[in-house]
Amino acid sequence: MSDSIMIVKNLNFYYQGDVHAVKDMSVPIQRNQVTALIGPSGCGKTTFLRCFNRMHDLYPGHRHEGEILFEGSNLLERKDITELRSRIGMVFQKPTPFPMSIFDNIAYGLKLKGIRNRAELGDRVEQALRQAALWEETHDRLKQPATGLSGGQQQRLVIARALAVEPDVLLFDEPTSALDPISTGKIEELMVSLKQQVTILIVTHNMQQAARISDQTAFMYMGELVEFGPTETMFTNPREKLTEEYVTGRFG
Amino acid sequence: MRGTSEIGKRKIVNAAALTLACAAAGLGLFWLIFILADVLRHGIAYITPGLFLNEAAPPGMEGGGLKHAFIGQLLITLFAVLIGIPLGILGGTWLAEYGRHHSIGRFISTLSDIMISVPSIVIGTFVYAIFVKPIGHFSGFAGALALAIIMLPVVLRTTEEMMKLVPWEIREAAFALGAPYYKVILQVVYRGAATGIFTGILLAIARIAGETAPLLFTSFNNMFLTTNMNEPMPSLTVTIYQYAMGPYDDWHEMAWAASFVITLFILGLTILGRLIIRWKYKN
Repeated sequence: MSDSIMIVKNLNFYYQGDVHAVKDMSVPIQRNQVTALIGPSGCGKTTFLRCFNRMHDLYPGHRHEGEILFEGSNLLERKDITELRSRIGMVFQKPTPFPMSIFDNIAYGLKLKGIRNRAELGDRVEQALRQAALWEETHDRLKQPATGLSGGQQQRLVIARALAVEPDVLLFDEPTSALDPISTGKIEELMVSLKQQVTILIVTHNMQQAARISDQTAFMYMGELVEFGPTETMFTNPREKLTEEYVTGRFG
Repeated sequence: MRGTSEIGKRKIVNAAALTLACAAAGLGLFWLIFILADVLRHGIAYITPGLFLNEAAPPGMEGGGLKHAFIGQLLITLFAVLIGIPLGILGGTWLAEYGRHHSIGRFISTLSDIMISVPSIVIGTFVYAIFVKPIGHFSGFAGALALAIIMLPVVLRTTEEMMKLVPWEIREAAFALGAPYYKVILQVVYRGAATGIFTGILLAIARIAGETAPLLFTSFNNMFLTTNMNEPMPSLTVTIYQYAMGPYDDWHEMAWAASFVITLFILGLTILGRLIIRWKYKN
């Protein structure tokens, strides 16, 4: 059993107006593994995911209780959000290429970190594109706008952009729900291969996807954690009846 | 059988509506082309190098030009752009970003929409009251201010709309990389909105380039070349107005020529703006 990179302890999250979206979640996140968050729409899994890199800080009126321990301290109380977000990256549902060249997209996070040296930027852009299995397709068109790439390529570009700053954790919020099956397959392969370098948390509506790529699965229902465990157990021999009903597609 | 007659009725209504719409469009187009053709036909004949190189000759004398008016027009427009565009872009940025969730933001947007349709002469008299009157004389600055006020809501709303077209998810993605808000705006949102904002600026300049009424009360006119913005300043539009009303034939000719130049300028800007939009959406 590998060690935990993050430990969520009794996390409660409330949106504006005291809407209780995440209820008393406690879950360890294993280092260099893929942890899938599954559950029906509106169960709070995306809200939960967005706690890890403090995306909620962008919007007013929310509050939280509990903690997410990361490297010995509660990341929810950290002051340096820029630093935190470069350690815990995020990939969204729809591809989000910036309106600039492929190169500049990847270099964006690096420049934010203060890396200006052209040679170093070049090296790290190449490395990130290779990690995201996009180098072969893009190495001769780095100066072209990223918006010219296909949807699947754009999503891999966004993953490369997140990887470039060498994060410890990557959060994926339904990263393949806007993509075709072939692109989805590529992204899934990529996520599995990235486990060597990063810890992955993925929110997915696709049960097969969770079963294919994740090591641990957390099943959420109405803001609460119903069950958490190794993916295999969750899909073949879950402890809770609710989990069984969900993974076999009887509701959700 | 009821169904068939129902469809027949719809076909008649459809044909009537289509005919009316075509007639209305045709009527509009007819006058537009008539005016354009008339201006171009009359104007082009009087375009001479002297028009651009000579200043006004004393009334009744041959050989004058409109150099003073061209330069005045350019200066007033330049200063209007210098005032109106930064303010418009900054205001639009506030509305699209920081003011997005405030009701005051929506209020200002609505107010801008109303301001866009305020008659320009009202802006002219407004600047006369708050600027010209207290200072005691007409000036190029006052003209530039009036034009800036006219272009402000146009630039403001275009900037706001173009920035709002950049999906919110793109901003979140930039935030997720650790970027602070001002960098997200400067480096990501402006890049996405740049072409649209630029087009809006071109169209705003086209909008003010043909204004006469607000200048009558502000920069007034001047028969002499001046680059001092604190003096009454000539402009093409006011000069056209004055020359067209004047008693001399060569004044009329120059008014035609000036109308030709200004129409071509505005036409060019507008077409350029449209081309940029089309080019943008092709990519």
